[in-house]
Amino acid sequence: MAKKDKISKPKKSIHARGIEALKERYGWICVAPWVFGLIIFFIIPIFQSFIFTFCKVTLVTGALNTKFVGLENLKYIFTVDQYFPDNLAAGVGTFAYSFPIILVLSLILALMLNQKFKGRVFFRAIYFLPVIIASGVILGTIIGDTSSVSNVSGTTDEAVSANMINVTELVEWTGLPEKIGEYFNDAITKIMNLVWKCGVQIILFIAGMQSIPDLYYEVSKVEGATAWEEFWFITFPSLSRVITLVTVFTMVELMTSQTDKVIKQAYNLISSQMFGESSAILWVYFCIIGAILGVILFAFNHFCAKKWE
Amino acid sequence: MAEFINKLFGSGNSEKTSNASSLAAYRTKRVISSVLISIFRYALLISVSYVVLYPLFYMISNSVKDLIDWSDPNVFWIPKHFTGLWYDWAMGALDFFNALKNTVLFELVAAFLEILSCSLVAYGLARFKFRGKSILMFMLILTILVPDQMIIIPKMMNFANLDLFGIIGLINKISGAGIRINILNTGFVFYLPSIFAVGLRSGIIIYIYMQFYKGLPRELEEAAWIDGAGLFKTYTKIALPSSGVVITTVSIFSIIWHWNDYYLAIMYMNDAEAMPLAVRLSNIQAVMTTLHNVWGGAKLTATQCAACILFIAPMLIMYIILQRKFVKSIDRVGITG
Repeated sequence: MAKKDKISKPKKSIHARGIEALKERYGWICVAPWVFGLIIFFIIPIFQSFIFTFCKVTLVTGALNTKFVGLENLKYIFTVDQYFPDNLAAGVGTFAYSFPIILVLSLILALMLNQKFKGRVFFRAIYFLPVIIASGVILGTIIGDTSSVSNVSGTTDEAVSANMINVTELVEWTGLPEKIGEYFNDAITKIMNLVWKCGVQIILFIAGMQSIPDLYYEVSKVEGATAWEEFWFITFPSLSRVITLVTVFTMVELMTSQTDKVIKQAYNLISSQMFGESSAILWVYFCIIGAILGVILFAFNHFCAKKWE
Repeated sequence: MAEFINKLFGSGNSEKTSNASSLAAYRTKRVISSVLISIFRYALLISVSYVVLYPLFYMISNSVKDLIDWSDPNVFWIPKHFTGLWYDWAMGALDFFNALKNTVLFELVAAFLEILSCSLVAYGLARFKFRGKSILMFMLILTILVPDQMIIIPKMMNFANLDLFGIIGLINKISGAGIRINILNTGFVFYLPSIFAVGLRSGIIIYIYMQFYKGLPRELEEAAWIDGAGLFKTYTKIALPSSGVVITTVSIFSIIWHWNDYYLAIMYMNDAEAMPLAVRLSNIQAVMTTLHNVWGGAKLTATQCAACILFIAPMLIMYIILQRKFVKSIDRVGITG
């Protein structure tokens, strides 16, 4: 069928129209299974989950019974549920400091790993390892909080990384008050936990940097630009798309991580068959995160990306 | 000497000035700064490597350490007494071979399907212009953005009662037969979305593929079209063979994500027989309590570490084998947009 089209159409108009029409058909053929999958496994579930938010959902053998209750679920999670407001604050709080640190850290590491030096391949191979050895399950297991899923109010005990470098002793040795030592220790522990989450981001950044044409750098060298200027006027603007991708990825990664308290609570509610409340929690959480993401991306596109175009 | 240091740590700039003999002072300054930069670079990279590898050292060390060494303050990294007991326990608690079989059968096959299907979708999105493409691009961003947790309840329900477009419901209504297809606890919960390229993080995989196909020269395919090759011929004979680089990257991502996937598995697989490794690993504390009456402390930590090593070992081996290819492929995937 397609062959016939291909032969007959160019006769009418010289190649262009025929090939364009053909390409449109090809495009749809490629995408068709995905569109089908999107509808079945993505769009319908999203609507269902949205409806669940406003329903009392009960499990009847093999099927779900939904009864519209309006804003009852939202009222429940904010007023009756004693954990949710705290968990939400904790989740957004963790997010607020993790996100910028991860982004900057992975960008710096990617910049270093992108230069030419001895052992580059070796270091690159190492820096991707956290994706394997510090994945959610592993951290959930060895960090000490194994009952993470069933433990709603418990604090995450970062026992593993606490021993890594003990700054408290160092600070004691210098004679500064103990509190400062604790503070430093806490901050460093947190940063180390964040390093483990940088693996994929570093890879994406390096891939992005590699696709910037060398020509730009050669020109800038001839013009006498410093490395700092090179970064701000070539690397950073060229990476704007990759930065957007990494932002979205990091965000989703952070909010769906196993140690996230809101996700844990939502899981607990699912286990105790409170599907409506669970949906409500997730929707509230993701709307908040989505709003933050929207603001970040808007600001980024508005103030950073456009500047150099 | 300066030349030697230059060569050893050489960054692009210092070479340029090396033949300008009149600028000796400038040159030494350049050399000193480049040496300082490389010292700083190695110091930073090595110290961050320590942080990165810390969990691995921690797990290996603890998993072979005998109980005597736990109370010995002199032992920090390298134990004095070795034991294989923790691995024995971990094998039992994980139900290792059964769980491994499940992981391979469910997760890895799904990863494989995802790698294939996403490639075709990305090819279509990158190569062809068609009506409605902007909507589809928006949907792509949305699939990256919306986490699985959000849609997992309805998805679980739909899988427990599989009914595409209400066909089975219609048959049931007409014939009165109570047909119900439950695919929870089978591999299809992972295969079905993967076949349709909406599996685990398919969005990001499609995106990476797409960026690669956009950078691939069109000329070959145009020539093939003019020579009368159809879509699938151009795709399988030209696009796929030249996308080895991106397939390496994407496969590593997809396989590792599937291997580590825990949330979907814990929702879909509530039958102990069908649990993959990740779920088993997350349940290990409860299992240890019933198996060995261990509630916590050194015994539990050691067994957990051994279990973690068992869990990551296959991925680690795969990564060590593919590592060179993977690192090189990153350079050539070309994500820009």
